[in-house]
Amino acid sequence: MNIFLSIPFLVFMPLVLSMLIISPLFTSNEVTVRRFSKGVFGFHFLYTLLMLLFFNSSNPYAININIFGMDWIQSLGIKFSLKIDTVSMILSVLTSFVFFMASISSKFNIRKNHKFYYSMLMLLETAILGIFTANDMFLFFLFWELEMIPAYFLIGGRFQENNEYQSEAKKSAVKFILFTFAGSMFMLLGILLLHYYNFLSNGILSASFADIIDSTIPMGIQLFIAVCLIIGFGVKLPIIPLHTWLPDAHTNAPTPVSMVLAGILLKTGAYGIYRFNYELLPQSFKIIAPILGILALINIIYTAFVSYAQTDIKRIVAYSSISNMGLILLGLCAINKIGLSASVFHMISHGLVTCGLFMIAGIVYLRFKDRNINTVQGVATVMPRLFGFSVLIVLASIGVPLFAPFVSEVLTIIGTLNSDISIIIRFSALLALPLLILSSCYMLKFLHKGFFGEVKEEYLKINDLSVHEFVVLASVLCGLIIFGLFPNSIIGMIN
Amino acid sequence: MINDIFNILLPHITIGAFIILMLILGMILSPRYYKYARIIAVIGISAAIALLSTTQTEPQYFGFKNSIMSDSYTLLFNFIILVCGFFVTLLTKNLVKTVKRSAYTFYAILLTAIFGGMNIVSANDFLTLLVSVELLGFSSYFLISVSKGYYSKEAAFKYLLTSAVSTGIFLFGVSYLYGITGSLNFSNIYEYITANETSLVYTISAIMIILGLASKLAVFPFANWIIDVYKGCETSILAFLSTIPKLAMFGIICRLMVFPLSNSFELTFVIAILSLITALWANTYAIRENNVKVILACSASANASYALLTASLVSVYNLSTVIFYLICYVIMNIGVFAYLNIYGDNKNFDVNYFQGLYHKNHGLTGAYALLIIGLAGIPITSGFIAKIYLFTAIANSGFVFVPFLLGLLLLTVIALYYYLKILLPLFHETDKNYDVQKFSTNFSQKFVLVSSAFITLIIGLCPEMLIELCRFIAYNI
Repeated sequence: MNIFLSIPFLVFMPLVLSMLIISPLFTSNEVTVRRFSKGVFGFHFLYTLLMLLFFNSSNPYAININIFGMDWIQSLGIKFSLKIDTVSMILSVLTSFVFFMASISSKFNIRKNHKFYYSMLMLLETAILGIFTANDMFLFFLFWELEMIPAYFLIGGRFQENNEYQSEAKKSAVKFILFTFAGSMFMLLGILLLHYYNFLSNGILSASFADIIDSTIPMGIQLFIAVCLIIGFGVKLPIIPLHTWLPDAHTNAPTPVSMVLAGILLKTGAYGIYRFNYELLPQSFKIIAPILGILALINIIYTAFVSYAQTDIKRIVAYSSISNMGLILLGLCAINKIGLSASVFHMISHGLVTCGLFMIAGIVYLRFKDRNINTVQGVATVMPRLFGFSVLIVLASIGVPLFAPFVSEVLTIIGTLNSDISIIIRFSALLALPLLILSSCYMLKFLHKGFFGEVKEEYLKINDLSVHEFVVLASVLCGLIIFGLFPNSIIGMIN
Repeated sequence: MINDIFNILLPHITIGAFIILMLILGMILSPRYYKYARIIAVIGISAAIALLSTTQTEPQYFGFKNSIMSDSYTLLFNFIILVCGFFVTLLTKNLVKTVKRSAYTFYAILLTAIFGGMNIVSANDFLTLLVSVELLGFSSYFLISVSKGYYSKEAAFKYLLTSAVSTGIFLFGVSYLYGITGSLNFSNIYEYITANETSLVYTISAIMIILGLASKLAVFPFANWIIDVYKGCETSILAFLSTIPKLAMFGIICRLMVFPLSNSFELTFVIAILSLITALWANTYAIRENNVKVILACSASANASYALLTASLVSVYNLSTVIFYLICYVIMNIGVFAYLNIYGDNKNFDVNYFQGLYHKNHGLTGAYALLIIGLAGIPITSGFIAKIYLFTAIANSGFVFVPFLLGLLLLTVIALYYYLKILLPLFHETDKNYDVQKFSTNFSQKFVLVSSAFITLIIGLCPEMLIELCRFIAYNI
């Protein structure tokens, strides 16, 4: 096996470099740290693309690239095993892309503690890639817990000189970590029971996903396990009653961190539901799917209304991502090929959109020192280039044709309508279809209120986009258009 | 008798000899030689560790008319107790400076406590057990009251009273058991209860014995002492108090549960429920506390209750998880108290007192943060593996215990909150101008802290060997 073309290299490269950056040997010159980290994230993105190229190929150098296994704790049957299948490959590419964008946009948002910030960002990337590639329940759980520490420090850390939201950021970071930890404890219960009942039914002490698919677990216990897992993933996703950490965390975090949180971190919840409930416990998922479908519908509708009522720019975007995650969940609940591919596709398109939207909100906040939509006005006058990008990205997020979200939303509805699980799911699809229009309400409010209107005197000297911001927004937009025009590149892969 | 000493008691006797040496030296040497006391104690403990290899483990050896035994289980526990004793002795440098006159006596008492702990684990007889428990207990009262001030005396007195009551309960249980079986020897009792039907009296006596012993672990009816004792106690003594009595008590409770008290189904439920109540009490108590010592007291009580719950669901697999958990836990605890010993001011242990120390000393505070993360059970530390391993044991014990497991899991979320309370101020920025020179760091404190953090990290990354060892020990009991 080629060491430099393998999953452990993909996953642990950021970890090793984060250790390098935080060590006292590394220079504390902030420009060097920033450029080095940008280089690391850029290289990692290219490397992931290389993996994508060799993925499933018959190239002799790339054989066995899809799986890596090593014994770890034999007495519990825990293997250090990583595996890449199509879904995790796609999500890994998205992960490294979003992190690359976040590192570029960090230039203006991060003013202090550069070494700590970049090393935590890299640690977070390792944890998230670990979640996407783990092929063993306990390894998955390890990465799931590991991800909390860097996420905590990124949300609550002090990275700006005078941040009026600092104390709130700390509080919301604690809220984030407690919610996630509580959820993950339910998940741990599910995993422990799954591990034990798999042992009872198969006779093998193993925690790897491949062994658990074969096991026959009694239906009642399977349902119990499934509900525990759903609670665990539902905190991250988030499913409605468990969502209260999200708006706070996303609003108070620095802009690049919000991009990562909304772009990738929420997807780990959806990925978990796909990996555990959808794949490992299919019988019980068929029973819970209608309930989840209703919850997803509530996600879509309720948060759309809440989002419309917000005045904080970042909060609008934060609530909009809960709404979109509901759509992803709905696609998974359909339990068919179209629903699944639509769901994964929407993870990509929403990842890109939300990355762009948080970037826009961050730029506005950076220039105007204000996030209230009623007081920030006239952005279009002083920042015409930002306005152009904003219009396009907002249109994309509403689901206008030519952009990726359009395809994924339509596909989700089609997949859900074709679902043969339950009438409830088809019914919720029918309800979701008109309610997607709600997204245009809050998104256009975002655009309309903030960007038009008289510009105040003191804001007239504000500069338009800098090169870094331009690059981020342009690449997000490129991604949205490319996947909008060639949706088959992803859907074909999943099917 | 010579045979017995050479087969099992050589380490114990070594410690005993050093106790007598200490007492003699304390009488004849003037107080200005107080520094050598610590070195002699370290030498004594190291010699005992080296002599552990002489004990007979295969097959089990019963000495002194069956009242003391030795197998791989006692060997492991004695080893950990001695290693903890070694670390604790290293930490006492600053404390002894304040009691120069009685430095030798202090170490004699510390060694007596270690001796008592070793004897508890090796006991095969309720009389030996009682004497050893009292030996450990009385040494602990003196050790707690060593530091100056009113609070340490208060703490020692409270500990004395609680222990006296719990010893009474323990003895009451033993008397019932003696009444049923006519023997105080573990092996004889085990033979009797496997051959005969057991009654309600047997269950009551079993519950009383376990409760009496578990008071040293701060389990529910006797849990309150831990708050005051931890508050009033010096940090290096806390390093002792949170490890050696705990190890010794778990050593004997697990053995009692497996052998003489194994025949009572109700015992499991009573202990499990009491452990859950303890966990609930300890974790909720710590939420509103701001004193690091009190938080750690609650954490000690809570962690002991997790392990006790698992130990009460008697099986060999569970026993191995409990041993693994204990080893990881005591190592982390010693490191934490080593850090408090370096930076703690004896009067002020408020969490905000430690604000911003990360920016003053990256290495030591990083190690401390790692240990706290380990106590909270977050990955790449041994605490994570230990938690997972412990909870697999409860999950494997049957669906009846799933509510208990869920309760414990949710309580660990509360636990995370108070661990974060300790952890986060370390990284905050502060205007306080710490003069790092003010803190008298010495090599041994740093050594204890760094080595425990290192072990925690290593076990967190490759736990396989230690798990295998624990399984081997558990299957050979």
